[in-house]
Amino acid sequence: MLIPTIRSSVTARGDGKLLVAISAALLAGLLPVAGSPQAPAREKPIPRLADGHPDLSGIWENGAGIDFVQPQQRGESLCVSGCGPAPGAAPPSPRPAAQAAAPPRPTRPQYRPELQAKVADLTKRQVEEDPVLRCQAPGIPRIGPPDKIVQRAGEAVFLYDDVSGGFFRIVPTDGRAHRKDVEPSFLGESVAHWEGDTLVVESQSFNDKTWLTDDGAFHSTDLRVVERLKRTADTLDWTATVYDSKVLTEPWEVPLRTAHLTDLDLVEAAPCVDQDIDHIVDGSHHPNPR
Amino acid sequence: MAKGILRMLAACCLAAAAGSATAHHSVAGQFDSGKPVRLTGVISKIDWVNPHIYIHLDVKDEKGVVTTWRLETLPTAMMRKAGLTSQMLLADGAKVTANAILARDGTQALAWVSKLTYDDGHYYQLAGE
Repeated sequence: MLIPTIRSSVTARGDGKLLVAISAALLAGLLPVAGSPQAPAREKPIPRLADGHPDLSGIWENGAGIDFVQPQQRGESLCVSGCGPAPGAAPPSPRPAAQAAAPPRPTRPQYRPELQAKVADLTKRQVEEDPVLRCQAPGIPRIGPPDKIVQRAGEAVFLYDDVSGGFFRIVPTDGRAHRKDVEPSFLGESVAHWEGDTLVVESQSFNDKTWLTDDGAFHSTDLRVVERLKRTADTLDWTATVYDSKVLTEPWEVPLRTAHLTDLDLVEAAPCVDQDIDHIVDGSHHPNPR
Repeated sequence: MAKGILRMLAACCLAAAAGSATAHHSVAGQFDSGKPVRLTGVISKIDWVNPHIYIHLDVKDEKGVVTTWRLETLPTAMMRKAGLTSQMLLADGAKVTANAILARDGTQALAWVSKLTYDDGHYYQLAGE
């Protein structure tokens, strides 16, 4: 990608300045040096829109449960899950902690003392009470990083494929103020601005029907969430901070999640039709990562 | 077998553990790894829905009576990532054998399926065994 740019530059300058141009490129690290294996690999550039801001557009595998699915084709057969290492495959290289399939258990939001009984009750009965298990929108930040972003100057559209359905958010990125004419909703109302190359999304106007985490962390209608999205060429770092002084003693920092660029297209979300709840006998639940 | 089932449950719980896209209850809270079953029949319908896909398997007993089993399996996102479609599961009505575990609450003809093996030998492994 860089070499044609340099060649254009050389052509424009004329052959007489070829050596100077190439030397400058080498000094700038734009060309690999033959026979120099220790030359560091250059990072791919971040895609940018015409306005200079990073272009977050892409389909992002956000680590929400399917990172560990590494299908194996076995002749006419297929292993989807629980496959073990592929025959003859090299052992997988360790991944950085932030990219691991199962993120470390985070700290939970800290609740005001008078709400501890409710916290304990919902923690115990989370399967029974979880709104997502009844196909309700998960809310923010529980929904996690977007599965797809479509961005143009001044606006980004976040698309989600969740077990509870398909969702979208239309986020102005031009720094405008919050609207005052919206009703409380599951995903709230969002506006965004840029801080350097980081998109900062501020959301409010939530109802109180969603959870902050998978394990019963409730909130009030005073909830505000600030998400930060920063992309490299192939990854998208997503963090969020939760503010709700009506129920929390302090803001809660949602652990970093790193989404990875993928070519697995988003399609219409399958309908959410829960058929399990009535058959769960002991309320046991998974260890929650968030 | 029991060890395999435990691995399967661990995999499913791991799936459920990693975020809202697949966040769900524990498989062990609904199905009993101590009650494995092997069923042979024909897949008559696929409910391609979340949070879990359901496979309807028509099983004929020795008297010719057909029972339709509901076999719960993975969320749609996992199937899509693997490239597995409902048409592939249906396999044009081919005979198929399902490895599964029974529902804890005693509901008849309800199970969690870990593997489907078709008459021609090809199979789809949906969870560890």
